[in-house]
Amino acid sequence: MPKFIVYFVKYVDAVNYRVGRFAMYGIFVMMAILLWSSISKTFFTPSLWTLEMAQFAMVAYYILGGPYSIQLGSNVRMDLLYGGWSLRKKAWVDAFSVFCLLFFLVVLLWGGFSSTAYSLEYGERSPTAWRPQMWPIKVIMCAGILLMLLQALSELFKDIARIRNVEL
Amino acid sequence: APAVHSQSTIRWRMQTYAGAALAEHVIVPAINSFNKIAGERMQIELFFADQLVPTGELFRAMQRGTIDAVQSDDDSMASPTEVTVFGGYFPFASRYSLDVPVLFNQYGLKEIWEEEYAKVGVKHISAGAWDPCHFATKDPINSLADLQGKRVFTFPTAGRFLAQFGVVPVTLPWEDIEVAVQTGELDGVAWSGITEDYTVGWADVCNYFLTNNISGAWIGHFFANMDRWNEVPEDLQELLRVCMDQSHYYRQWWYWGGEADLRVNGTKMELTTIPDAEWAQVEQAANAFWDEIASESETKARIVGIIKQYNDAMAKAGRPYRYT
Amino acid sequence: MSYELIAILMFSTMMLMLMTGQRVFGAIGAVAALGAVFLYGTGGVEIPFSAAIKLMKWYPLLTLPMFIFMGYVLSESRIADDLYRMFHVWMGPVPGGLAIGTIGLMVLISAMNGLSVAGMAIGATIALPELLKRGYDKRMVTGVIQAGSSLGILVPPSVVLVLYAMIARQPVGQLWLAGVMPGLMMATMFVIYIWVRCRIQPHLGPVLPPEERNVPMAEKLRLLRAGLLPLAIFFTMMFPFINGWTSLVESSAIGALTAFMAAVVKGRMTRAVFETSVRQTLAITCMFMWIILAALAFGAIFDGLGAARALENLFVGELGLSPWVILILMQLSFLLMGTFLDDTAMLVIVAPLYVPLVAGLGFDLIWYGVLYTITTQIAYMTPPFGYNLFLMRAMAPNDVTLADIYRSIIPFVAVMLLALTLVMVFPQIALWLPEMVYSK
Ligand code: NA
Ligand code: NA
Repeated sequence: MPKFIVYFVKYVDAVNYRVGRFAMYGIFVMMAILLWSSISKTFFTPSLWTLEMAQFAMVAYYILGGPYSIQLGSNVRMDLLYGGWSLRKKAWVDAFSVFCLLFFLVVLLWGGFSSTAYSLEYGERSPTAWRPQMWPIKVIMCAGILLMLLQALSELFKDIARIRNVEL
Repeated sequence: APAVHSQSTIRWRMQTYAGAALAEHVIVPAINSFNKIAGERMQIELFFADQLVPTGELFRAMQRGTIDAVQSDDDSMASPTEVTVFGGYFPFASRYSLDVPVLFNQYGLKEIWEEEYAKVGVKHISAGAWDPCHFATKDPINSLADLQGKRVFTFPTAGRFLAQFGVVPVTLPWEDIEVAVQTGELDGVAWSGITEDYTVGWADVCNYFLTNNISGAWIGHFFANMDRWNEVPEDLQELLRVCMDQSHYYRQWWYWGGEADLRVNGTKMELTTIPDAEWAQVEQAANAFWDEIASESETKARIVGIIKQYNDAMAKAGRPYRYT
Repeated sequence: MSYELIAILMFSTMMLMLMTGQRVFGAIGAVAALGAVFLYGTGGVEIPFSAAIKLMKWYPLLTLPMFIFMGYVLSESRIADDLYRMFHVWMGPVPGGLAIGTIGLMVLISAMNGLSVAGMAIGATIALPELLKRGYDKRMVTGVIQAGSSLGILVPPSVVLVLYAMIARQPVGQLWLAGVMPGLMMATMFVIYIWVRCRIQPHLGPVLPPEERNVPMAEKLRLLRAGLLPLAIFFTMMFPFINGWTSLVESSAIGALTAFMAAVVKGRMTRAVFETSVRQTLAITCMFMWIILAALAFGAIFDGLGAARALENLFVGELGLSPWVILILMQLSFLLMGTFLDDTAMLVIVAPLYVPLVAGLGFDLIWYGVLYTITTQIAYMTPPFGYNLFLMRAMAPNDVTLADIYRSIIPFVAVMLLALTLVMVFPQIALWLPEMVYSK
């Protein structure tokens, strides 16, 4: 395989591994926010920001964690036919069908850029009493989708390598 | 507009802020009329709250042409204009639903709105008055102190205003409200009059209705993507306006009659009232709030000025325009 | 292009892409993206990302990672071992008793987590080896574990019912309560089946040998205390919620924390357990969320193209079927789709089309939620596509073949179909409890 591709796969996998491992602890962030929400509601005045903050945390959690979940192989596939194929055949089919995934991610990213540009241009705030700026979460979403796109490319290269009997 | 249908019929997608139950009254009849009259020439496909895009993205979707037309107030779709805070329930700006069309047609708000929306690529078609803003809650409200700590679904601007009385404003997707009251996410709603509480099912989950309101009539609108609007022939533009105004007219009598009837004959919610003397504090706070908003920009100051001028005239006119 | 044609085109393209074995969210998302770019028209390209924003606003989804985390903490930390010992000792003397005890174990596990995965994992790691060692028939055992773990989504808390609640806009609390009686009824029916079958064919579930049965009474009573833990976790989570002190999502966080603390206090929260629970929670949550995201995008495009209306017109208008026939057709279509479609995707894509129809036909949406959930459970277990089948295949020892697994579920699916019919004919089985608790 060309050196460029070997490095691409190596670095993309490494970056996504680290980002994913970081996002993984987001479960405790969500838990802490929701627990604070229960406590503040029961003993003081309810906080304005907890539910929305927890939603932001959740979005960051699953979007930034997405590429790592691909590395972990946890995305379910319909394996009626797929399950019975050899590794090489799987690699062949995946090398084509992954373009579906790439296309979806490109469209998602397109919309993400457009939506982020809007929130930066108009200083968009969430229409709630807390009124947080929307661009930070949208930037995180775009970054996560971009990383997902890179991960899908990395999977494609790995499949091509597998077809050529090389393991990246 | 959809890409897959033949070009001879103009097809619009319109999304309303309302869910299916409410839409049955506040929009479906007008769209049906329009479609029946326009026939082969133009058809509007109606979508309910959050159906195609979430409310938070609604304005942008219209600006980009993902949605061709929208029925909403400025506030809940967070339009990036100077007039946003006045849509929905700007506290105590109106007492009766007739106040709104007068403000727009005789006091010049219409021109301001058209101008502000044109700046962001959107056609402001029509403004109308909808219902008043009352509290419907699980626990009774008999004094201002009872508002403390109540988590209430309300409009952003109304929420900003009510926060000074200890209300905790919560914004959730409209369709989730009934469930959120049941699951404890909310203690109540300050979003509508009693007609709507009964129509959409909130009366089933709230036990009390506060007769004092913070606004006598919501300001809501119809908008369209500017390019789509310009593509429509003049006579169909006229028909759109007429049908939208017809929808406002429907609300005038539907709410006016409904509010009185359900207060008297409704069985699902018990009425409570905060004494006038105490409620006066809230009205006073609204004056301060108006000044605060007016100081934010020139356009806002102009609108606040118009609202003040109008309410002064009404107060001087006396009965039946104003009783206090 | 007509609306009907668009509907058929989008569905068939999705099926085709799923057949390639590409990740489910990629297959569904691709159809959404294709529709957005080529069919929707102006601004369609914005819709998939809008779906991500819509997903963010679906606040009950916050319960998803919480319940998944709870499930992993419970299964990984093996705090269920004591529970299993309890059932083992108490039920051992009965023919098929260990299998019956496993159903009991599954009911308790179900009350502590929202998916069937945890029940599956606990059943496969704790119960399965013990039962095989004691001469239980392997088909009986794998069937018991698969059927029992499916109770996880019917007995509260339940993630499937949370998803359904969001789509049908029905109160989660009532839905959860509506699942209780059908869940217990189904568990009882499983127990009756096992007992009768093992009376007739004792070799399927032999009675424990006397040396294992003769446990002193004091020890037996001490083991009963193990049952307190799941009850405690269940009540710390459900009591404040049903009383309205905490909201649904807050309660789920309390449940996750309680399970975590229970593992810490019992000294089972090792580094390895912590690592697996936290990592797997991310992996499974991501799987769910990306599928829901893709399915929401698909749904919005499908809707925006008028295809959803076409389906509705077809069912109610043109075919002119009676409400019950439509309802039964819907259930059958779920079973059919469940053979090749991922269950979450099925819920997010199909339920929005069916729910307004069900409501329009005058059926109760709480009751329908329970029907839907039982049907999903059956779909979970029926070949070729089913989570429980996959998990069983992954977790079972090598001498349990795929054919064994497929054959093992047959009697249990029959029992579940009977339960489904009972709930359809007698809606009060589901509705009695929520009506009693929530009567104003
Ligand atoms: Na459960
Ligand atoms: Na299946």
